[in-house]
Amino acid sequence: MKLNRLLRLGIDLLVVILGMLSLALPFIFSQAGDPNNQAASFPIMISLIILISLLIAIFEAQSSLLDSKIIAFLAVLAAINAGLRFLENAIPGPGGFSPIFFLIILSGYYFGSRIGFLIGVLTLLISAIITGGIGPWLPGQMITAGWVGQSAVLITFLVNKFAWRGKPIEVILLSAFGAFWGMLFGVIMNLWFWPFLGAGMGQTFTHAVGASENFQRYIAYYLATSLFWDISRAVGNILIISLMTKPVLKIFQRFKQRFSFQIQEETG
Amino acid sequence: MIHSLVWVFWLLMVMVFILSTRNPIYLGTLLTSLFILGHHLSHTKKIKNWMLPNLRFLLTMIFLSTVINSLFSHVGQEVVFTVPQQWPLIGGKITLEGLVYGALNGLVIGALYILFNIINLALNVKQITRMIPRAFHPIAMSITIALTFFPSIQKRAQEIKEAQMIRGNPMKKISDWLPIFIPLLVTSLENAFLLAESMTARGFHKQTDLRTPKNLISLILGGFAFFSGWVLQLYRYPRAISLVLYAFGAGLILLTLYIAGKSSQVTRYHQERWKPADMIMAFLIALCLFGFIYLKWAHRLHSLNYSPYPHLICPTIQVMGLFFSLLPLIPILGRQHDKN
Repeated sequence: MKLNRLLRLGIDLLVVILGMLSLALPFIFSQAGDPNNQAASFPIMISLIILISLLIAIFEAQSSLLDSKIIAFLAVLAAINAGLRFLENAIPGPGGFSPIFFLIILSGYYFGSRIGFLIGVLTLLISAIITGGIGPWLPGQMITAGWVGQSAVLITFLVNKFAWRGKPIEVILLSAFGAFWGMLFGVIMNLWFWPFLGAGMGQTFTHAVGASENFQRYIAYYLATSLFWDISRAVGNILIISLMTKPVLKIFQRFKQRFSFQIQEETG
Repeated sequence: MIHSLVWVFWLLMVMVFILSTRNPIYLGTLLTSLFILGHHLSHTKKIKNWMLPNLRFLLTMIFLSTVINSLFSHVGQEVVFTVPQQWPLIGGKITLEGLVYGALNGLVIGALYILFNIINLALNVKQITRMIPRAFHPIAMSITIALTFFPSIQKRAQEIKEAQMIRGNPMKKISDWLPIFIPLLVTSLENAFLLAESMTARGFHKQTDLRTPKNLISLILGGFAFFSGWVLQLYRYPRAISLVLYAFGAGLILLTLYIAGKSSQVTRYHQERWKPADMIMAFLIALCLFGFIYLKWAHRLHSLNYSPYPHLICPTIQVMGLFFSLLPLIPILGRQHDKN
């Protein structure tokens, strides 16, 4: 039992470390390799490593799906959330606003890190299958959305520790968390193609300079191209989480009780 | 209908070629081939207006990449114009080399996008979900349920929306969507509850837990070995070490998933069959892929490399390079064979 828990922790750590290291490679291993040789394979290798991390994480997390009730619950929740992606244009939100994050965050917050991770991963995968959005960008999007749901358990920990459940601070914390991920999601997603977009002589990203200069170049690129978009997403998350948290958590509470029946297998 | 695995091999081959070249002539020829194939597929699947949005996306990518690259990179000799130095982030000379390099990046990104767009066009939802490995059976089950439920959820959302609009909901603010989302969530979860009950009644209750310590340790080791191979390659260690680590890591992960998948009891309906045309195409693709890798490894395809730096020069052409950039058209031959 103890070994299993250690291994689960090991898997979580490996996935986060490999995923983040792959994305942050331009900063960490900035002196490595020949820019001309690496430029072309860079995004594909990042996608491949992230895909491997994702497969390992899903393999481990799907152990929460051994029950038919959880499978059905997760499938329906992911289908609703994938449907929300279609409403992106219909809902009058600001520029980079996406309504999918609040359900991922609330699921992770209420049902735990594994369900949160799987809702994030499945939402992106299902909407990609439906809309024909499968591509090398998908593993990165899936794992980041998974991390959004997985990390929401930190808010659960805080709320439980200080007995804030049901108080206004619970909604404030979740909204702030949504704003934080609204920004971070864009920062992480840009990392996937940023080295590729500017890999070359004197380009935005270069192996020839140190990690700190590359970081400065990335900040400049981010400020110029993505900041407004991500602020819009963060503001949208604040609006939608502050509005939806209470009614959605009530529904989750009701269905958690209804889904908690156990089936006794007949023996003999 | 071409076998889904043949499409996967085809995707791999074209992707390797796209990522191996920066020659604008090859990229242009390859994009033309992709557009011809995409048009052919959309025509046979009776999908209207496939070409225009993709062409628009490609042109937008080329434009954006050119603008961003030239504004941030001021390296090059042919100065087109100069942005005042005091302008933050973008001040400096705009060079022809910077514009061309940006356009080339846009071509590569656009080609990758269109390549995956064709795969999405060629494979239907059933073929994609069938490709999920058996080791991920619970996830595959969830995906299948979600895809089955999706149309009814969309329909219900539309019905609730119409009912709300009749009651005078203007649907202008985010808060106006609350009376739609909450009933939608409640009714959908009710359906999930019913589905769970019927799954249990039909004997689908408990799945086998594949998460044994042996499996988890193998996956951790495999992931770590693969990543280490890449880091060593970046640091220019002998390529053989990286190759061994890649093979060990990927092999260990695949083997673990294969063995774990064998303990999942899955019944597959409507199996895809390998037809002679599929086998010929798979063989051709594999032959071309290995041929391409060999020629590149032996430095026989020097025209693949092109850079506008330090001086802007005309790209060179080789017959083999042109041949490889026409290979995306292989599936059309397979489909013609099917018709005959």
